[in-house]
Amino acid sequence: MPLHPIITSWFATKGWAPRRHQLDVLASWEDGASALLIAPTGAGKTLAGFLPTLDDLTHRPMEGMHTLYISPLKALAVDVARNLTTPIEEMKLKIGVETRTGDTPSSRRQRQKLNPPNILMTTPEQLALLLSHEDSPRFFGSLRRIVLDELHSLVTSKRGELLSLAIARIASYAPALKITALSATVSRPDLLRDWIAAPLPESRTDLLIGAGGAKPDISILASDERVPWAGHSTQYAVPELYEIIKQHRTTLLFVNTRSQAEMLFQNLWSINDDNLAIALHHGSLAVEQRRKVESAMVAGKLQAVVCTSTLDLGIDWGDVDLVVQVGAPKGASRMLQRIGRSNHRMDEPSKALFVPSNRFEVLECEAALEAVEANAQDSEEPSLGGLDVLAQHTLGMACAAPLDPVAYHNEIRRAWPYRDLSWEQFERVIDFVATGGYALRAYERYAKLKKTPEGKFRIANPGIAQQYRLNVGTIIEDPMIKVRLVKGGRVRDGRHATGPINRWGRVLGELEEYFLDQLVKGDTFVFGSEVVAYEGMFETEAYVSRSNSKDPKIPSYMGGKFPLSTYLAEGVRRLLSDPAQWTALPDQVSDWLRLQHEVSVLPPPDSMLVETFPRGTQNYMVCYPFEGRLAHQTLGMLLTRRLERARARPLGFVASDYSLAIWGLGDFGGLIRTGRLSLDELFDEDMLGDDLEDWLHESQLMRRTFRNCAIIAGLIERRHPGKEKTGRQVTVSSDIIYDVLYEHEPDHILIQATRRDAARGLLDIERLGGLLKRIRHNIVHKPLDRISPLAVPVLLDIGKTPIFGEGRENAMADAAAELMREALGKDVGQRGAGRSGT
Amino acid sequence: MWGNAAQAAPAHEDAIVLLNFAGHTFEPLLSGALFWRAESMLLVADLHFEKFSSFAKKGQMLPPYDTGLTLKRLERDIAATGAKQVVALGDSFHRDEGTETLLDADRLRLMALLGKSHWTWLSGNHDPSPHALGGVCVAELEHRGLTLTHEPKRGVAGMVAGHLHPAATVYSNGSATRRPCFVHDGKVLVLPAYGSGAGSMNILGASFAGLFDYASLEVTMIGKSRLYPVSTKRLVGGI
Repeated sequence: MPLHPIITSWFATKGWAPRRHQLDVLASWEDGASALLIAPTGAGKTLAGFLPTLDDLTHRPMEGMHTLYISPLKALAVDVARNLTTPIEEMKLKIGVETRTGDTPSSRRQRQKLNPPNILMTTPEQLALLLSHEDSPRFFGSLRRIVLDELHSLVTSKRGELLSLAIARIASYAPALKITALSATVSRPDLLRDWIAAPLPESRTDLLIGAGGAKPDISILASDERVPWAGHSTQYAVPELYEIIKQHRTTLLFVNTRSQAEMLFQNLWSINDDNLAIALHHGSLAVEQRRKVESAMVAGKLQAVVCTSTLDLGIDWGDVDLVVQVGAPKGASRMLQRIGRSNHRMDEPSKALFVPSNRFEVLECEAALEAVEANAQDSEEPSLGGLDVLAQHTLGMACAAPLDPVAYHNEIRRAWPYRDLSWEQFERVIDFVATGGYALRAYERYAKLKKTPEGKFRIANPGIAQQYRLNVGTIIEDPMIKVRLVKGGRVRDGRHATGPINRWGRVLGELEEYFLDQLVKGDTFVFGSEVVAYEGMFETEAYVSRSNSKDPKIPSYMGGKFPLSTYLAEGVRRLLSDPAQWTALPDQVSDWLRLQHEVSVLPPPDSMLVETFPRGTQNYMVCYPFEGRLAHQTLGMLLTRRLERARARPLGFVASDYSLAIWGLGDFGGLIRTGRLSLDELFDEDMLGDDLEDWLHESQLMRRTFRNCAIIAGLIERRHPGKEKTGRQVTVSSDIIYDVLYEHEPDHILIQATRRDAARGLLDIERLGGLLKRIRHNIVHKPLDRISPLAVPVLLDIGKTPIFGEGRENAMADAAAELMREALGKDVGQRGAGRSGT
Repeated sequence: MWGNAAQAAPAHEDAIVLLNFAGHTFEPLLSGALFWRAESMLLVADLHFEKFSSFAKKGQMLPPYDTGLTLKRLERDIAATGAKQVVALGDSFHRDEGTETLLDADRLRLMALLGKSHWTWLSGNHDPSPHALGGVCVAELEHRGLTLTHEPKRGVAGMVAGHLHPAATVYSNGSATRRPCFVHDGKVLVLPAYGSGAGSMNILGASFAGLFDYASLEVTMIGKSRLYPVSTKRLVGGI
């Protein structure tokens, strides 16, 4: 059927013609097929997504919901609704478009349920809420289309898992349903297509690839300054960056962490003699402040914005003509998307600049440049279904209507992430939702799900539905604490805040609890673009005061969320091992590598280099796996355990994205040379057995992971009707719950869910497993009599990034030793006194 | 190689730390109990039995194993010390009903323990009512010039109490460590919470305000395999 004349003439009045991929999506729809459209940013994807809806509703107007649009961001849903309303009004079509987000007033929610719009724009969480209501079959029954936006970003997270379950449910309500998904370029488009095809096994799903835009124009900053060995401040490049900002209309400067953003912003302003409008945007800033920056940007009032991944997705931010990546690029796909934030016109190339903050990052930038040139993709694959998410969804579905277990199990397996869910696992999840799923049947009488005479599961009382609705969603923030600016020295001299110090101070924003946990009164750090000193904590707020210090004492660099991608890591290894490729590198970097070649060896591309050398009173072992900081941290934890058992007396370690350094009292090199320590055995895959198990039990990272799973699964509530529970209170008890559960029932489904997350997330065990396999019998040992050039960066990190090892018990041992000295009348606490805040 | 190196025993396991308080000598244990050898008396505070199960009614099905773990610790301590008397310093049950919600297995183990030693249950704010599980239920106990009670009061000489779940945080070389602790100022001694599900609070925090004479504070932290009497100069506040 040809495009409706009203639409054709609207295109004509605009002087446009529908693009090929837009018509392809329409053709798929008319053919009764679902479609995955992969196209770069700026290709008119949104219109492509909605063209079939506009056309269908123009031909055949209807009551009720026709199209459901799901976006990962609330702001994006609102923006797309606005962008869609304009053409609908211009064409004078009778098509209702509405959004439903957390901000939608309850009167409108009610109305939407009784009288749904033709097109509803919402988020995965709101969708889950809608589905938990009894009338959802009627609400979704008329649905013809689901449009999924930015699907690539959703499918790698638990939100994607929740969404897949929701879609499987909707498919059972809406017989005419077809799905259109929009995605940026990904490494495995076939998996993404399977993902949207799974809930509709009867229909065909087309894979449509939009034409790519012009090739981006990317360069690496060729600095006249010395690129530092280590560190992440990129301070050396600030004056050059400032000049570059001046030469462009609007520059987006992406960094990897909040603290880098703060630091760069502060450094740029310290030389901002021209008073350029340079703004800051990251997830810890107060929402109003972020909105202000966003609207100033849309209005074209800003010359530069320093931002974190908070601006990775989403609406068109005005007229950006340069994207700068400051610091490690981490992954090729991520870079392509960030670069796509500039210049949304297809025919002109996007312009981007990489600014490495240290010498290893120069190599990484070079590898990223090559990858982007080759249009290589290294995006993550869609994640498999977590049992915690399934537990949450199951309770929601039981709130809507009693669950028939067999039919429900079949429905779940039509969600791609859960396609292989066994009946046994399924039963355990049901059992968990009902009574906690413990081997000891302690809670039968409090069961949340009860069996009806027909064998269905229904919720025990309506209060459970109310509770479910307050706790829906899979985004668990680290417990955040409000940070309030007060005048210094107000904390009473009892070493603790006993009451509100100054309630009128300005709230600067929020910080993660685990960061504040490490602080002691007087510690300085950068926040809200100024250096502040920690004053103390009262109830749920932290107090800071302005500090005169230029040099914050606590480096809050935690490496960022994203590890170096396997693809880029390979690129870096290749580049390192092949001197012929060094011509592209700045002299200072190639000189560094040449020196390494002379005094040690270059890490070969397919095996792993281990260097050992003495330094001071200690011995060092540095290995170069290039598998990302998280995997290296886990490796470090496990290696120090094994070295301890081998009596090599390790003391601590530090990990970067590229390498891992362990130091200790034993002569590592000598032990290896004399065969008393075998590297093959040290790096044997069996470390992922008992050693891992022992360590996981104690690991703080595991506890944090458990907390998230427990909240998602509903074991711990974020909120209880009438009683707000703060993150802090949840954290304290979740550690204890983990300990008790792990000790008693290490196979409980929540522990299973925690392990799965740990393997991919904070511990990156998956990646570590891959490394150990790759280097089996493939380790090159190079004993040295002093530090090698390549080892310099990671050793410089000591003292700047968190160090692991026996630090925890040591703090107590130190304090005990000090008590002994006091008792003997010597050396009375020179250091402790300063720290205790007296 | 390291296959057989696992024997490396935890270093200071048998190093005994003694705690002198109000003229008596006590042995703090890694579990959080305090053993009074001269009296063959084991003191434990804030067992909080049945804490997790008390959440189930409200729909939070926490693992029903906290009681079992606490009992396991008690069995070990009583066996190791051979204590003839056990004094539980209140909040032994997370709530009065806890005496009824005990799982059968846990009840049997508790009965066995009650048969081995003479038990005195002091009442706490969580479990004010006496019960008939065995042993004696009293509000407070005077013994050898000491007052054993649940809630500590400032300046009462020779008071041994629980209630506050003390923990200390020490800071050294850039890292802070927080652990439950025994704490006293020569007059008032507070035991850490013994219950596996109990949690803890910083002794520099608001709940301890005004209780101790800070100048004579003595703090013994519980490490992984030994106890650490720590310098109070290293203590830091916060959570």
